[in-house]
Amino acid sequence: MSTISLPQSSYIRDNSRTFIDWLKSWLLTVDHKRIAILYLLSINFFFLLGGLAATLVRVELITPQGDLMSSDVYNRAFTLHGVIMVFFFLIPSIPAVLGNFLVPLMIGARDLAFPRLNLLSWYLYMIGGIFALIAAVFGGVDTGWTFYTPFTSTYSNSNVVMSITGVFIMGFSSILTGLNFIATIHKMRAPGLTWFRLPLFIWANYATSIIQILATPVLGIALLLVIVERVWGVGIYDPALGGDPLLFQHLFWFYSHPAVYIMILPAMGVISELISTFSRKRIFGYEFIAFSSIAIAILGFLVWGHHMFVSSQSVYAGLIFSFITMLVAIPSAIKVFNWTATLYKGSISYRTPMLYALGFIGLFVIGGLTGIFLGVTAVDLHVTDTYFVVAHFHYVMVGGTIMAYLGGIHFWWPKMTGRMYNEIWGSIAALIIFVGFNMTFFPQFILGYLGMPRRYHVYPPEFQILHVMSTAGASILAIGFIVPLIYLAISLRKGAIAGDNPWGATGLEWKTSSPPPTFNFDKTPIVTEEAYAYPPEAAERDAASWRPGSPL
Amino acid sequence: MAEQQHTNAHHHGDRHTHISRGTYYRVFVALMVLMVLTVAAWWVEKNLLHIPGWLAVTIAMSIAIAKTVLIVLYFMHVKISSRMTQVYAAGAFVWLIILFVITMGDYVARGWPPQPGPLP
Repeated sequence: MSTISLPQSSYIRDNSRTFIDWLKSWLLTVDHKRIAILYLLSINFFFLLGGLAATLVRVELITPQGDLMSSDVYNRAFTLHGVIMVFFFLIPSIPAVLGNFLVPLMIGARDLAFPRLNLLSWYLYMIGGIFALIAAVFGGVDTGWTFYTPFTSTYSNSNVVMSITGVFIMGFSSILTGLNFIATIHKMRAPGLTWFRLPLFIWANYATSIIQILATPVLGIALLLVIVERVWGVGIYDPALGGDPLLFQHLFWFYSHPAVYIMILPAMGVISELISTFSRKRIFGYEFIAFSSIAIAILGFLVWGHHMFVSSQSVYAGLIFSFITMLVAIPSAIKVFNWTATLYKGSISYRTPMLYALGFIGLFVIGGLTGIFLGVTAVDLHVTDTYFVVAHFHYVMVGGTIMAYLGGIHFWWPKMTGRMYNEIWGSIAALIIFVGFNMTFFPQFILGYLGMPRRYHVYPPEFQILHVMSTAGASILAIGFIVPLIYLAISLRKGAIAGDNPWGATGLEWKTSSPPPTFNFDKTPIVTEEAYAYPPEAAERDAASWRPGSPL
Repeated sequence: MAEQQHTNAHHHGDRHTHISRGTYYRVFVALMVLMVLTVAAWWVEKNLLHIPGWLAVTIAMSIAIAKTVLIVLYFMHVKISSRMTQVYAAGAFVWLIILFVITMGDYVARGWPPQPGPLP
């Protein structure tokens, strides 16, 4: 319980004498917390790489002429950005880092159900990443992250097979993580921790895991068939060989639309935790938030055709997909309204994680509502393949997932490392990111609506002002991402000792020491109350006792 | 090793956790027979009889489904797994049906091309 020094033994400390021993203790670990740290480092590396590719794209777009790179190089730059960010950052980010660290801690377990499988999934992630990197180094790939046929399977002369192999291998990492979470959540909850006492982060990760194990195999097979057609000329997607290019889009989006929910659902779980803690209130409508995660997971499988409205899919199929797409708005709105109702009459403290959570709600609402524009076939025909789409999915995926990822990293940083980060710099960075993000992507809505197509590096001069605004915003955003790297690194040595529960939060993860011991709990905890069990008067008491400089 | 697992299973009083080696071999033989049937059906269609397309596809699909069921039930141990595992396995097929039904819905609504198969 001491708040003066870090605990004597924890998952970070070990007794290895030599450097090799130390390295082995990390690379061969089966501790879910250490694997989460491995993921944290490797995923952030890929995030920076994807960010570099984005920088190339934004810098090229400052001028209407294609003066920095040729169209071919530009194709490779945005493909690198897309492949790295989607497959190697967004999809694994929250489940593999925060989920790995927190699922066993939150349910009072010693580790995940299959610790070795967990380590294997990190290695598969790294092997997949290395394939993608090799493909990038030896000339890149020019197909876009969607790998659309027949271009990928016939004409493209870039490193398609290598990239696809990387994504295929990474897919298994995702499947294994999902499998591990489902088994763990079913089988290893602490005594008394019934389903409706689980933190909403666990519900969100459970829903995500279902998508991971049911959808990812379809992507794997769809991509494998691209290789089969490309290498052996078996007719699957190529009409000249008796195939159908639209089949690829069906199979691809059967995974890749639910993949959006692999990114956003765990983010929503993080937000539920943050909103409740920093409002000092039990969450409003617990069951509704929990079941809306499951509803999103299921509905997410029925809407893939809205990516194919203009791809020669039949109009009847388009109408049905459009209708079902509207239904996804219901569970999403349930969440947003419940978070807002949780804030109502709460004692709200604007700590860094809370700033990210509030930012998430704003950005997700804009991203979600513009999704309705795109789900309406008539509007979609106008804005298909324009910057409107680019802006929409960045609002959902970056504004949603990255805000929650950073908010979660800050919230659980004291638990992961035992030390606090610098709160002032934390708040400043959160504000910089929010401003930079909106400045980058809001002009893209206007650009797209005016007709600027995506994936073009040359454009009419009248679009330049909006492109320059967007690039300026991206530079601010980049600063916003670099600042946390610095103060979080400094906090590892100089941060104040956090203690077990610096936020005064509920939840089992705050009942063990920071950083936790290797097996999480000295004694298996017994749960006797619901999640977020702040007493009814907690918010009032908290507000009354607030004083400047208090930790909350 | 297999022996040990066998006795362990019995010690835990769980009567549904074992498939005997003989069953594995019988399933393997059944799969080989089905494979021969697959090739035979193709050969008959090509060399002996004119079978209409829909019938040929039905025959090929029936054999394929039979093989899948054997593998899922025996080699993937679904037959002797807990109810929860069985529910998940069944769930995966429900999802596969979603994929097939909705995709085929698009194909049917679009209309089949007048001449299926490779372009001339």
